[in-house]
Amino acid sequence: MLSVEGLSKSFGNQHILKDINLQLNDGETTVILGPSGSGKSTLLRCLNLLETPEQGTLTIEGDRLQFGGKLSDAQVRTMRQHSAMVFQQFNLFPNYTALQNVALAPTLNGKLSKSESQQLARDLLVKVGLEHRIDSYPDLLSGGQQQRVAIARALAVSPDYLLFDEPTSALDPELEAEVIRVLIDLARENRSLVVVTHNMAFAQKVANKIIFLDEGRVAFDGPAGDFFASDQPRIRQFLNIFDVVSSAS
Amino acid sequence: MDRYLSLWAESLPQLLMATLKITIPLSIIAFILSIVIGIVAQGLRSSRFKPLQWVSNIYVWLFRGTPLLVQLFLIFYGLPKLGITLDGWTAAIVALSLNTGAYVAETFRAAVASIPRGQFEAAQTLNFTKLQTLRHVVIPQAVRIALPPLGNDLIDLVKGTSLVSTISLIDLFQAGKQIAARTFEPLAMYAEVAAVYLVIFTVLSILQSYLEKRSNRYMRSVHA
Repeated sequence: MLSVEGLSKSFGNQHILKDINLQLNDGETTVILGPSGSGKSTLLRCLNLLETPEQGTLTIEGDRLQFGGKLSDAQVRTMRQHSAMVFQQFNLFPNYTALQNVALAPTLNGKLSKSESQQLARDLLVKVGLEHRIDSYPDLLSGGQQQRVAIARALAVSPDYLLFDEPTSALDPELEAEVIRVLIDLARENRSLVVVTHNMAFAQKVANKIIFLDEGRVAFDGPAGDFFASDQPRIRQFLNIFDVVSSAS
Repeated sequence: MDRYLSLWAESLPQLLMATLKITIPLSIIAFILSIVIGIVAQGLRSSRFKPLQWVSNIYVWLFRGTPLLVQLFLIFYGLPKLGITLDGWTAAIVALSLNTGAYVAETFRAAVASIPRGQFEAAQTLNFTKLQTLRHVVIPQAVRIALPPLGNDLIDLVKGTSLVSTISLIDLFQAGKQIAARTFEPLAMYAEVAAVYLVIFTVLSILQSYLEKRSNRYMRSVHA
């Protein structure tokens, strides 16, 4: 279980997240929605401590962090083991092949031997449909392929929660589809996913839970069905934008 | 023309001797030291302890901001006043290494600064330690970015060694100058000196482009 209590984050005097409370269950797919600037990515990055909140607590699988004071390196590292991030821009290491990108972390973290890591990496790359590109460098892969390697790389550290920060926003529709297929597979395996996305079809099809952020606050937190059927004016207004876009395209 | 040819044939061994005894070893030793100095300066600059950053910044400011010739004179002619007397060879190594080190430090700083932030975030999310991030993410990428400007730093250094003629060392330039004075053939002699520098430069350029190609082997844009 992942829970967040009273979490706040600001950049300078800009208050991005205000008193966020939420609870995510293992094995569920949570989609975080909201207009741009609502704090979706910041919230996600706080879960992996790429951003450090000023206040609140974060608890994942029993490990708890209280923000506000100085966190030790060990505390941060322990909490980070529970999650792994997939980035909008993939952020693969250009100096390593697909296989090396995936195998590196389990080897360096000392969880697996080098040959075990490579076997795991091979299996994960097969799983994301890249068995034929195992020895390619990232620069020789398409965006969709790079993102699938990045997903395999995140899976390789066996995180309890997989975090996706707009994983398809840098991709054109065809490549987006191949990445979404991988996400759907992961959701069907009952992995715990937290996804920031603008892909409404994905949210509608796969999400167990929707968190809707508006101006740094949780404006909706509940089952996906309830969200899409909601008649709250703010939610309808947000969803209408996507209806307009999808009927226009 | 025959006169020139025989002059060149006669003088070449002396020029090559000076090149092999002074110009090349001076360049190699000073370049190796300047890389060490550049790494240390960059390390100090990225330390969290402010006074160390200041030391590094002041060093780079001093040695980039003053001419190499002035630095040579200060070290060779000036330091003895403080009781530090260095022979020409040592003074040349010290001045050239410190001077080039300041440029190399800048090269390293720019290389590290041009690694995208996302690379560090990826390393963080995978829970790499600082040392692992340095070893697997920062250094390999920084080296690739730094290679072309480092090559330029080396080429500037080789040409800069010609200034050590002013502190009593007989390098390639000084050897040529002496023969020119003796034979009254400045055109022929300085053209010959220039040609030897060009040969060194050409060899270094070939080496540089070979190393760049090797280090870019995983980048599509440079493969094509």
